[in-house]
Amino acid sequence: MANLLHYFASHLATLRLEFWSLLVGGFATGVMYAMVAIGYTMVYGVLRLINFAHSEVFMSGGFASYFMMRALIGTSTPSGTWSVVLVIIGVLTGGVAGAAIAMLLERIAYRPLRRRNAPKLAYLISAIGASYFLYNLAGKEFGRINESMPSPYINHTVFTIFGAPVQLYYIVIFVVGVIMLITLDRLVATTKLGRSVRAAAQDAETASLMGVNIDRTIVLTFVIGGALAGAAGFLWGLGFTGVGFYMGFTPALKAFTAAVLGGIGNLRGAAIGGLLLGVVESFSVAFVPASYIDVIAFGILVLVLLFRPTGILGERLGRSA
Amino acid sequence: MSVSVARPCAWGSHYTVEEDELIKPRLNKTVAAVTTSALLLMAVPVVGIASTAGAAPKPTFVIGYEGPLSGGNQQLGLNMVYAVQLAINNANATHKLPYVLKMAKFDDQGSSTLSPAQAQAAVANKQLIAIVGPAFSGATKAAEPYYRGAHVATVSPSATAAGLVAGFRNNNFMRVVAGDDVQGAADAKFLVNKKGASSVYVINDASFYGAGLAAVFAKSAKADGAKVTATTVPGTAQCQDGTASPSEYPAVATSIVAAKPAAIFYGGYYCDFGLLLGALNSAGYSGMIMSGDGSWSPSLISGTSPASAANNVYVSEAGGGNATLTGKLASGYTKLAGFSAKNATYAAQSYDATNVILAALAKVYQPRFKVKALRERIVLALHRISFRGVTGHISFQSNGDLSAKSIVDFGQVQNGNIVSIGHS
Repeated sequence: MANLLHYFASHLATLRLEFWSLLVGGFATGVMYAMVAIGYTMVYGVLRLINFAHSEVFMSGGFASYFMMRALIGTSTPSGTWSVVLVIIGVLTGGVAGAAIAMLLERIAYRPLRRRNAPKLAYLISAIGASYFLYNLAGKEFGRINESMPSPYINHTVFTIFGAPVQLYYIVIFVVGVIMLITLDRLVATTKLGRSVRAAAQDAETASLMGVNIDRTIVLTFVIGGALAGAAGFLWGLGFTGVGFYMGFTPALKAFTAAVLGGIGNLRGAAIGGLLLGVVESFSVAFVPASYIDVIAFGILVLVLLFRPTGILGERLGRSA
Repeated sequence: MSVSVARPCAWGSHYTVEEDELIKPRLNKTVAAVTTSALLLMAVPVVGIASTAGAAPKPTFVIGYEGPLSGGNQQLGLNMVYAVQLAINNANATHKLPYVLKMAKFDDQGSSTLSPAQAQAAVANKQLIAIVGPAFSGATKAAEPYYRGAHVATVSPSATAAGLVAGFRNNNFMRVVAGDDVQGAADAKFLVNKKGASSVYVINDASFYGAGLAAVFAKSAKADGAKVTATTVPGTAQCQDGTASPSEYPAVATSIVAAKPAAIFYGGYYCDFGLLLGALNSAGYSGMIMSGDGSWSPSLISGTSPASAANNVYVSEAGGGNATLTGKLASGYTKLAGFSAKNATYAAQSYDATNVILAALAKVYQPRFKVKALRERIVLALHRISFRGVTGHISFQSNGDLSAKSIVDFGQVQNGNIVSIGHS
């Protein structure tokens, strides 16, 4: 017992020492999880299916922006306004590539099944097949190794919060991620386009009777989710992990978890779930060896689902996208 | 397989005896059955003589290579496979061998889940006589039962885990590098005694190799007087068949930096190590960092973001005294591989591993032996071999480890290159 107390006391000391560092790092990861989780939750809201090829949408964004950065930066060291422009170009490239791949996925892997009224299991298999195909294609074309992305800026500590260094990389993630997430929220809540997405989620048949083009709306949800995931792929690749054919697997799995944690089908839930998962993962390190981080993360998921089976914000099927 | 014209009868009868000698369950065959099969076998060469009319073509034997030829850690495998090819090309080029040699590649991605299937495929190859590899320790452990069952000799240029020879019941596994018990102890001496690290944070990647090396290092560093904190940071799915997500690394790095160790030792492979270096750099770590042979690769630097985060990192390799291919071998290697032999970790060991197998084959080869008989005889011959290779003198103890006391080389990343900085 005394041992146990001592164990927790010493780890609490570690946590106090590193609290702010871990919080900043966890938030940065969380924002990226949130951006990927949006894609899962939107597609689920409209089609009631989990797009398991979403990890490869993320990966495509990473690779497209990697090639763009390599072409534009090469071996130079950008600075000033050029750095800002490069980050914007990277986000756009990643976003466009993600959107394009997501659209293709919808066309090739899902629409033919939808036309034939296939059972939901068929979608699942089709998604897994598309995922295998895409990442192996990337492995074949781009090599099965990690590539480090040329950096559009020199990473350095910009300021500190209570002694915790906040780096430029984290600031880039926060700024890009928060802008995109808020834009999306407004888009879905206030525009005509958003209304059609919400209507299709609520009752696709009635919505189509009311003049909503269902096919177009479904493509739109894929494109929006894909753009966010693609941009997240760029941000992820900018960090120490670089880009690789298998880069989508774990982040997407975590993002899916985040979407369920927040309440699948609920946009804000996905964002909150992502942030929460990122921070929880980060804090776990203060308490347990790295090998048990996932145990903590998924343990919390199970606890949350035990008490709130529909996730933190609840499964708002039909009302949000 | 075909034979010389002069002795079809002798071959026929001898062949049967050989096979019975080796496959014990068949010993109970009746005399009649033996005679029948001998007669049948005699008939085959007679037909052969009629069609080939004289000069019999040389038989073809395959040397297999098993290692990672794709995946996050493929560079180590690529380093090896071209050296195997070089040794085979050189042997064929002498035109004096009574057989033709070929190479077959078995890509296990360094993974212990994929290696059994590759081993089964290798064993099933009807021309395959021995294996260079497997390359990675975990993959070796998983594949060995299949090789052992088929009496295929495996000479690994790189599987260094101490657990591969200690208490291993097979006699077909050998390696031309020192085990990690030697490397880990030498690394501890280097970091603690030579570089004066008073406290070391020892990390392993949860692989069979990484965990073994880190454990030996931790034990030796403690004995040398350093304060040791040991932890496991599992490898990522991005690099190997690990379980972790790279998103966990920043938090791990933060807690390592908070512990303020004088040095970090990493037992694992370059791909995950590169990710960790990037995270440590972001977390503001500035102390010494060292890793073992799994990280001695230029790919460590290209896979680290930013590449400067790999600067000053120490690496070690249990070679045989700065073992690289030089001179004509180096140029021949570069021609095949498309990259330099310098810093191609394990290229020299692979060249030696191939040649030691070829030496054993030359010793035991007789035209009347079939592949199955050759496989077993090569295993036996390897245990008696005494061979001078480019990495030094090679002979094996009964457990498969090198007899000679090995030297451990040290390197350091300087300006984007790994530079040799001496040996133990």
